Amino acid sequence: MTISADFDQGAFVRALLDPELPPPNELETPGGFRPERRFAVYRNNVCVGLVDALAERFPICLQLVGDEFFRAMAQCYVRERLPRTPMLFEYGDAFATFVSNFKPARELPYLPDVARLEYAVGAAYHAADAAPLPLELIRALPLDRLESATAVLHPSTQVVASAYPIVSIWRRHMSDEKMKPLELDRGEEALVVRPELAISVSPLPSGGSDFVDALRSGGTFGEAVNAATAVAMDFKLTDCLRELLLTGVFVAVSVAH
Amino acid sequence: MSDKKLCAAIAIAGAFATAVALAETAKAANDQEKCFGVSLKGKNDCAAGPGTSCAGTSKTNYQGDAWKYVPKGTCTSIVTPKGKGSLEPISH
Repeated sequence: MTISADFDQGAFVRALLDPELPPPNELETPGGFRPERRFAVYRNNVCVGLVDALAERFPICLQLVGDEFFRAMAQCYVRERLPRTPMLFEYGDAFATFVSNFKPARELPYLPDVARLEYAVGAAYHAADAAPLPLELIRALPLDRLESATAVLHPSTQVVASAYPIVSIWRRHMSDEKMKPLELDRGEEALVVRPELAISVSPLPSGGSDFVDALRSGGTFGEAVNAATAVAMDFKLTDCLRELLLTGVFVAVSVAH
Repeated sequence: MSDKKLCAAIAIAGAFATAVALAETAKAANDQEKCFGVSLKGKNDCAAGPGTSCAGTSKTNYQGDAWKYVPKGTCTSIVTPKGKGSLEPISH
């Protein structure tokens, strides 16, 4: 199957996504032998490959809805949105939004947020490396001046806030842990980091994701606390910091003089 | 510094000091070490010999030049059908 250099890419993509359409005109097969058959094989491989990529990328969503449902849903996504870049690990960036609009999945209202968390996990996995600031050095900081200090966060740091217990759902499906009943209406904020090579997904206290977002955008610790308490009056700063320190989120802290 | 700002500074300093202490305790229990020769095929965390350089690339179970993170202090006591785990690459 060969294609000339100046072919119509738009028409090619349309034919790729719609099995009803004939193969692109420019398509040549040896001896002109049934190009539609060969193109159908190609069309199928592209779709199956991308569905497989989504299944690898969103393994917990797959577990939640089952193989058949997931593959059908993923196929709809593939038809709607082909990869935007040649990097397959970026594929699925709009999957969570797609799932939230996918009517057959309405019965699982937490599914879009689980997809969001899984995409964050993948992004963290592929993020740049950085050495977390050792706890000994953090202990040696002038703590009384931290209020006006800023921090550089590990490049893999991601937060996902949800009205559903997404961290608990994620953890239960990642391990063989025995299932206990979950309170579905209890929201959780997930912290995703990859300080060394293993992904860490842990819950932050309520307001924690705003705290992290404020620090990430260059805010001081004082401003970050304000951002967190603005959404969660009882923001537990110590718990939040403990989780951030434990997962190696801080790469540098600069104290103003 | 205003009173309000001073209060915030004290609260943050206190929370940080406590959080560092808590994190140190938890970390001591969680510390990991690279352990060679214990990972299953394709389940290594990193290093699987020349030519391949990262996670999930080991070709055989308990490959001696592939490592996996395990809790600190436990590596050399892990026994596999191919022998014990090692902190250095091993040739079976």
